[in-house]
Amino acid sequence: MNVDAPMNASGAEQVVFWLLAAMTVFFAVFTVTRKNPVTAVMSLVGTFFSLAGIYATLSAHFLAILQVLVYAGAIMVLFIFVVMILNREEVSPVPLRFVSGFAVLAAIYLLVKFVHVADAGVPPMAPSVPETFGTVGNIGDLLFRDFLFPFEAISLLLLVAIVGGVVVSRTHQKEVDATVAAAARKEAHDRQLADYPAHDALEGGEGDEGHDAHAHGGGH
Amino acid sequence: MPTHYYLVLSFVLFLIGTGGVLMRRNALIVLMGIELQLNGGNLAMLAFSRALGDEKGHVFAFLIIALAAAEAAVGLAILVGLFRGRQTVNLDEATLMKR
Amino acid sequence: MENLIFNLRLIPLMPFLGAAVLMLFGRKWKRDTVLVVAAGAILLSCFVSIDAFFAQLPAEGGLVDTLWTWIAAGDLKVDLAFRMDALSGLLCLIITFIGFLIHVYASGYMEHDPDYARFFAYLNLFCGSMLVLVLGDSLPVMFVGWEGVGLCSYLLIGFWYKENANADAGKKAFITNRIGDFGFLLGMFLIYQYTGTLKFTEVAAAAGAGSPLLTLSWLGAPVAFWACLFLFIGATGKSAQIPLYVWLPDAMAGPTPVSALIHAATMVTAGVYMVARMHAVYLLSPGALAIVAGVGALTALFAAIIGFAQNDFKKVLAYSTVSQLGFMFVGVGTANFGAGVFHLYTHAFFKAGLFLCAGSIMHAMSGSGDITIMGGLRKKTPITHAVFLVCWLAICGVPIFSGFFSKDAIVAGAFATDVYGPGLEWVGKAVGVALLLAALGTAFYMSRLYFLVFSGSETRASEEIQHHIHESPGAMTGPLVVLAIGAGLGGLIGIPGGLFGHPEWNLLAHRLESVLGPELDVPKATEGAFMAVSTVIALAGIGLAYVFYGGGYREPAKKFAAAAPKFVQLVRDKFRVDELYAFLFIRPIRFISKAIYRVIDRAIIDGTVNAVGMVTGAVGSIVRRFQSGDGQGYMAWFAIGAAALVFFATRPGLIKNDLRVTTTGLSVEVDARHGGRASQQPVEYEFDFDSDGKPEITGTSSLAHHTYARPGSYKLTITAHNLTWGTTNVEHERIEVQ
Repeated sequence: MNVDAPMNASGAEQVVFWLLAAMTVFFAVFTVTRKNPVTAVMSLVGTFFSLAGIYATLSAHFLAILQVLVYAGAIMVLFIFVVMILNREEVSPVPLRFVSGFAVLAAIYLLVKFVHVADAGVPPMAPSVPETFGTVGNIGDLLFRDFLFPFEAISLLLLVAIVGGVVVSRTHQKEVDATVAAAARKEAHDRQLADYPAHDALEGGEGDEGHDAHAHGGGH
Repeated sequence: MPTHYYLVLSFVLFLIGTGGVLMRRNALIVLMGIELQLNGGNLAMLAFSRALGDEKGHVFAFLIIALAAAEAAVGLAILVGLFRGRQTVNLDEATLMKR
Repeated sequence: MENLIFNLRLIPLMPFLGAAVLMLFGRKWKRDTVLVVAAGAILLSCFVSIDAFFAQLPAEGGLVDTLWTWIAAGDLKVDLAFRMDALSGLLCLIITFIGFLIHVYASGYMEHDPDYARFFAYLNLFCGSMLVLVLGDSLPVMFVGWEGVGLCSYLLIGFWYKENANADAGKKAFITNRIGDFGFLLGMFLIYQYTGTLKFTEVAAAAGAGSPLLTLSWLGAPVAFWACLFLFIGATGKSAQIPLYVWLPDAMAGPTPVSALIHAATMVTAGVYMVARMHAVYLLSPGALAIVAGVGALTALFAAIIGFAQNDFKKVLAYSTVSQLGFMFVGVGTANFGAGVFHLYTHAFFKAGLFLCAGSIMHAMSGSGDITIMGGLRKKTPITHAVFLVCWLAICGVPIFSGFFSKDAIVAGAFATDVYGPGLEWVGKAVGVALLLAALGTAFYMSRLYFLVFSGSETRASEEIQHHIHESPGAMTGPLVVLAIGAGLGGLIGIPGGLFGHPEWNLLAHRLESVLGPELDVPKATEGAFMAVSTVIALAGIGLAYVFYGGGYREPAKKFAAAAPKFVQLVRDKFRVDELYAFLFIRPIRFISKAIYRVIDRAIIDGTVNAVGMVTGAVGSIVRRFQSGDGQGYMAWFAIGAAALVFFATRPGLIKNDLRVTTTGLSVEVDARHGGRASQQPVEYEFDFDSDGKPEITGTSSLAHHTYARPGSYKLTITAHNLTWGTTNVEHERIEVQ
């Protein structure tokens, strides 16, 4: 990192940044390493709060509030609910894979490169920004004037997400019933054929095979 | 604070998220990893926005948050569906793409 | 042309149209409709032929109908043109008239065949091709018909292709003909090379004294000799002469009407027709004519001997055809072209009649053609018997019947000819003697056939077959009767009128003279003597056969068979010529093919293809592990790919090819500047001129200058740092300074 870069930030500002940055990284690492999903979700909330603080240091007041409201609030509640529905702990949370090792190395390499590039060739911070920078008024103005179409588009996306969520997660009770009924019919059929030894051997063999394949697929 | 501090932080956040997505078996944690990646991206947006004194980055960050919300909703719904069908949220067992 | 109601082009066009229509729609039509279309096309063609034939009678040199220029390449210009003169007109009449009769006959013979329409489509196609062959005004047009009839012959021999033997016979005919066709092509090329034209009239005009065809060439023989020889090879293929006759007996695998039409009356005479058509060139080379006559005589005798021992009705007729074609070739080979064509004409009638009788008899005998189980059919199939009787007497050469006149004309011509120059005079006499023997043989084996089939009081077949013996329906006997009339009286158009002081009695000869040149002059004494000799020989052959086979197998026949069983077996096996060919040609070709198959096909081509397949498979078996269905795995690869991309895309592209090094004495100028992406980003260079690890020049400039202390060979190391991405590239270069 370029240590000689001009530091036009006050000491307090620096302290706040480092503190928040440390918290963010800490909670983020905690999120992806915890076995218990509830702990993970809670760490994620911590990450989001710290990030909101960092947003504030960037004069992004509206986004900081939004971060707390939407992420730490709404999305997290969603997660918590799902965790409660599923509530499963992993036996071994991190599977060790050959490829993953390479991927980690690649990620480290990319980080190094990124640091280098970020150090060398990004625009410096604007010395000062207007008082109103990042306020609800300014953002709203932009959103409803220059970015009206993307705004409407994203609202449509949310609508689709709502419908999609309902469709995907609803119980397919009729299909389940049909599956159960089919299984019952097959069982009855097998029992009937048990009177004919030759058929029994044939059908039984096939039945076993199907069963094996299913079990195999399940255990894979 | 220099811009690149924020950028490096955003990239670190993104990498941690990537690590979660790549290495965890629990689909829930994977989704959380994705949220971390999105937040890393958001942070970069806001950092550049502040550095250039241009609020357009805020608008994009706003849109990304909305997108993240939608993604979380659908993703979690899929998880619930997966759990219902297979009694598991272990991604190693969800290899339907192979067939 | 104004005498014509129709154009000549209509003659071949009609059957071609019929064939096309039948192939496209015939399958769905009723049998009667198919017959009307097929026979109607030939009948129309026949009418146009008759009209054209009489229209050309006064026209010197015949009528020509030019459709369009077919080939125009450099000096070569070939018109698609048809010519009707006495020769092609006679052939046209034979083809269309006998073709029509056989169509009618076939409607009865093929009555129960499921592929009725296909059969008639092929027959029409054949007639069209044959008409193109005879009407063609130049060698290439003739060759089109030549190949067309070959194709149809293949299609019709293998008509019942579901049986392997039939398909094989078809292939054998086609391949044997291809060998001959190669000779035809070579002859054609030779003629074109030396005369510059392929048109019959122009070739004939170029074949006079001092012709370019008389140029001496290979082995000191004139070009005309080789051209004629090559054309004759083509003729031996098509007309079944030694050595290419082997396909014709096998061709009997086809339906009997096909045997009658193609393998007796029309196609096989194409060779004779071609030699007659090219007579001007043949006359240039007595040697070639001697070969034609010699081969013809040899074939006539050889096939007649094989005919003694055959027990299949159609096989006997097939060898008889080969033998009779030999007679025709002797005719044209002794420069007695008119006689050859005359025999072609009479033979067409009586051989078609004989074959159709064979079909009728086989029809009666439940499909069997084995003459050993026949006998006594005279009463059971009276009409067929009567027709066969007439045709038999015709082929034996009994006076008044058609074969007598034509055969006699050939034999007398052979003894009288003087066409072979000094040293070859004996050829005429030799082939004449051979022909007399062949005529004796012909009379004998044809009589054997007649006696074994028709004479006697009882049939040797099983009760089952005997029960079903019946005379054929009217559709079959009608054409038979017409053919019998032709076979009986057809010879009268060629009476040797000169013998009685009335040359004009010979209607045929002086008409053909306009095309074939002046008739061979046969002294009256010779003519008369050989008439008597021929008659005696024919009656002798018949009498001998009666002694052996009159009323069935008699004692002399049995005794002879017992006395020389090996010889009889050899004759019955057709002198094992097929086996000889198999040994001489087919086995070596098989061997070479196998070797090529093993080396080129298996090792080289298959090896390459299999190697490609194996490499693909091996790569696939590795790559398929990536296709795990595991989304996380895919993403991991994605991250690795991104890193790799960054790594390769951000290296400073110091390309060695672009490196410029200039040495002047001890000083060196280096330019490491390069095009490409990294030039847009700040790059720092380190130049280490002696590779000692301590760079002499460091900076952002790609240019460097250095002066060495001593001359020698140095290694230059250039290190480039991309300052933006922190990547490095190192290149080495050897530098020599004096």
